[in-house]
Amino acid sequence: MKRYSRLERRHFPAIYLFLLPTLILFALFYVIPIITVFFTSFTKWNGFNAPQFSFDTIFYNYKKLFSMSSFGKSLQNLGLWSLIAATLHVGIGALVAFILYQKPKGWKFVRGVYMIPNVISAAAWAMIYKFIFNNDFGLLNNAIRLMNPSFNVNWFYQSPAAFWAVTFTWLFYAVIVCMVVLADLMAIPKELHEAAEIDGASSVQRTFLIDLPLCRNSLGTSVIISVTSRIAMYEAIALTTRGGPGNDTANLALILVKAINDYNYGLANATAMLMFIFGIVVMLVINRVFRMNESVY
Amino acid sequence: MEAKMNVPTNVKMNRKANKDGFLKKPLTVGRVCYLIFAYLVLIFIVVVSVFPILWVILSSFKSNAAILSSPFALPDTFNFDAYISVINQYSFGTYAINSVIISFGATACSLLFFSMAAYVIAKYNFPCKSLIYVLLTLTLLVPGHTKTQPIFSLIMNLNLYDTKTGVWLVYLANGIAMSLFVLKATFMSIPQSLNEAAEIDGASFTRTFWQINLPLAKTGLSTAGILMFLGNWNEYYYAALLTSSASNRTLPVSLAFFNQAFSYDYTRMFAALTMVVLPGIIIYMLAQEQVQASVAATGVKG
Amino acid sequence: MKNIVRILSLVLAAMMLCGMVGTVASAEGVVELTIPHYKAGENVGAVFFLPQVERFNKLYEGKYHITIEELTGDLYAEKMKQLGQQNALPALVEGGETEWIQNVVIPNGLYTDLSGFLADHPDVAALLDETALAYNTTEDNKVFSISLPVIRPMGMYYNGALLDLGDKTAADLSWDEFAEKLGDNKIAFMTGENAWTTALIFSSLIAVEEGGADLLRETYSTKIYDYNQPAILNAVTKLQALLQNYAASNTVGAVYADAANAFESNNAAVIANGSWMVSDFLPDGSVNWSNGFDGSTVRGDVLPGNVALANTAGYGWWVPANVSDAEKEAAMAFIAFMNTPEELETYMLTEGGVCQKLTVSEEYTAKAQENALMYEYVNAVNADTIICPAVCDCMPSSIANTEFGNLLPLLIDGTYTPEQFCQQLTTLAEETRLD
Repeated sequence: MKRYSRLERRHFPAIYLFLLPTLILFALFYVIPIITVFFTSFTKWNGFNAPQFSFDTIFYNYKKLFSMSSFGKSLQNLGLWSLIAATLHVGIGALVAFILYQKPKGWKFVRGVYMIPNVISAAAWAMIYKFIFNNDFGLLNNAIRLMNPSFNVNWFYQSPAAFWAVTFTWLFYAVIVCMVVLADLMAIPKELHEAAEIDGASSVQRTFLIDLPLCRNSLGTSVIISVTSRIAMYEAIALTTRGGPGNDTANLALILVKAINDYNYGLANATAMLMFIFGIVVMLVINRVFRMNESVY
Repeated sequence: MEAKMNVPTNVKMNRKANKDGFLKKPLTVGRVCYLIFAYLVLIFIVVVSVFPILWVILSSFKSNAAILSSPFALPDTFNFDAYISVINQYSFGTYAINSVIISFGATACSLLFFSMAAYVIAKYNFPCKSLIYVLLTLTLLVPGHTKTQPIFSLIMNLNLYDTKTGVWLVYLANGIAMSLFVLKATFMSIPQSLNEAAEIDGASFTRTFWQINLPLAKTGLSTAGILMFLGNWNEYYYAALLTSSASNRTLPVSLAFFNQAFSYDYTRMFAALTMVVLPGIIIYMLAQEQVQASVAATGVKG
Repeated sequence: MKNIVRILSLVLAAMMLCGMVGTVASAEGVVELTIPHYKAGENVGAVFFLPQVERFNKLYEGKYHITIEELTGDLYAEKMKQLGQQNALPALVEGGETEWIQNVVIPNGLYTDLSGFLADHPDVAALLDETALAYNTTEDNKVFSISLPVIRPMGMYYNGALLDLGDKTAADLSWDEFAEKLGDNKIAFMTGENAWTTALIFSSLIAVEEGGADLLRETYSTKIYDYNQPAILNAVTKLQALLQNYAASNTVGAVYADAANAFESNNAAVIANGSWMVSDFLPDGSVNWSNGFDGSTVRGDVLPGNVALANTAGYGWWVPANVSDAEKEAAMAFIAFMNTPEELETYMLTEGGVCQKLTVSEEYTAKAQENALMYEYVNAVNADTIICPAVCDCMPSSIANTEFGNLLPLLIDGTYTPEQFCQQLTTLAEETRLD
């Protein structure tokens, strides 16, 4: 079967040479963890002594995970957070990117400033948000009390406010989405816009009929990045509500770390496998929906 | 819609033809509404982004008790006692240099590696291409906590424990997936016809990559580079785990010493935080200016 | 904009230049030990520990030299686990997570047997507490670690300006009587982090229940999985009442800093904590005082019901097996040094605590009284005081570190009855079981 032309074949050595450094890094830092996680998720393992495996208990960790009291809530939270990430979060990032693309006055300043939250460590970030959401002296509640003096919500520690408080710690900070989309927008050939202008397209039409479809690759990428970071979201919760009150803000990453703290590496790795599978599903679906494998131009 | 068009090999055309005159367009009611909306969004973004860091900086001038009891009041006086005591106690200069060396070194190397990988994936067909791409992007899904033990053991075996090289090596592998996403998209948006023309001219594979594609991928490169740099600049866990002596410590690790159980001193912690965060912001601003300038100089968008 | 950037980058460059550190060259023939430890830098333990290391280095100048590498407390256990896996532990390790030591270090023989050390140092052996020694003796009669023979029972502090117990102390009062005396005064509780100050009070409530103190003593190494037992349920019921009636206003979500601040700003009159907090109330700690708080009015006491919390059994300093003989020798010299009467006295003066088998010098007694608060705190323990471990040491680690604190807001707002709270703790504890 001749799948590759002679011209293409000629480049194979160079191609693999170009891939080599990245593949070495992949092998060094990811292959062993992935293999370990996969196999030990079917064993009883305390992380130090040899993992114990038997066919009778092959799905032991998975069964245990599914029966945990915070598992159901974790899935529900994951679903809702993913939905918010894929729509609102990506939407905000893309909106800012489209506005910046028009280069309004001060756009460089905004682009620079938007990155600042990403420069601050998660620990400091969580601390700042705990002060903002504090019931007694927090900024948010005091602002709301100007309009409604009897307002009294302890954001991070009462149901259902805690879920939204955690959501607000990341919702608006879509700078990665913004940059990815902006880079894609800037790569749109000028000729297309000129052609559209000659055809008499309005700027609204131009945005929706040319720019938006042309940056579907970066939008897809943004959705994948945003949703997978919701699956992996740990610090934003661990440093604020820690899954509470009760298990209101529980998620899989929290279950994973808790299992490690309890020396239950088998359970931790079963949780990791589940997170992994969810991530793959998200990638496949988004790839399909956004037709990301096809060339745009 | 699927836009198919023939892009001329000379991409440098039209450099002045379309200076986007955002405000110069005639003002209609719709346009005014749009402008108001756009600026409201931008102002909101600026506020939510700047407020927290501003708060951290202001808090570093307040007493611990004042931070806890009235966190949003302005400081009474601006004295730099906290900063002086932090500088006296810790060699912040060393940590800053370590952070710069490690973050810059790792970002520069991985940017080169990942752009090479992204380039061939975006531009060429070869066996196992999809498999390799999928495997590399799956790294996004490996939960960080499951990597601790293998990475620690690798660094010990390479005899790189408590060295800057060890941390640098670990940082190299950070952000594979994210960079590939960004860079692959960027290379895909560079017209294939350029490569075909280069092929006809007899340019070598490396030359085609280095002199034709890389210069055109500047926005993507800067996006990926900035994201990776900031990730490395802020990384705490591995920097703390893989080093032990103060001479190999990075800024985020030094920060952790200010927030220990039973020794709370928010004033000095925020002073230290300011000193850690500001260089990151400055470097980012500088890098952005630089990138902007070079893009403008070549006159090529994208 | 450009100018600002330029100025800031100059500042950055200046910052880099002023911070170069030199390295210390080591003399020949000296056994150098580099020990990563958290009792350094900003840690409260550093005040005593670092000068102690210096004294040791001075005493053994030309023979041994110990350098302490600063590490944060939360990273210490993790790093020791990883280094243990690679057989690369430093020459001295202090304690470690119980699960790790019991399941990994001891079974795999990662430690040096210290029974020979004890035979060579009868003075150290004589001071050792029997329970501690028994706890550290393995099944094959090896000695795993040496804990300092000083116990530091934890009680509480109260603000004498707000709360007057008359001629009584908390040792004479039951929790009900104490609560009555509180009146409108509040207690500095926490629900954040590991809910430390709340857990201490919860422990004292369990300890006064029938069989409660024994439960805590017995489950230290096996952990509690059943929270529905009467001693705990009754304690939770009382804890709920205290939380609802006497909790400082910032309790929900409070981390340690918030609890300490509530106490040091007169917003709470009582805080349960260990002896290390004494230094916060000395004039040096006054930067954190506000709202008219004066550290000199603070009184130290045991917890109501005459309870003090301490682990007599626990893991102390141990010497890993993977280090050279010369390093082992130096490490053991340091352990012996820490256990000399002079060092123990200095330790108690700085950190509080009592050493039951040590006959203290007159000089010590005189000095101890100089720090009146520490003296009062340490001597509040009397012959009848119930001494037992704190409940957080008896819970599976994820329950102690997060779940307990996470459930507290629901106990406070009444979402959970004490029965539901205990049931929830039981369910979560069961989920942590390995088998």
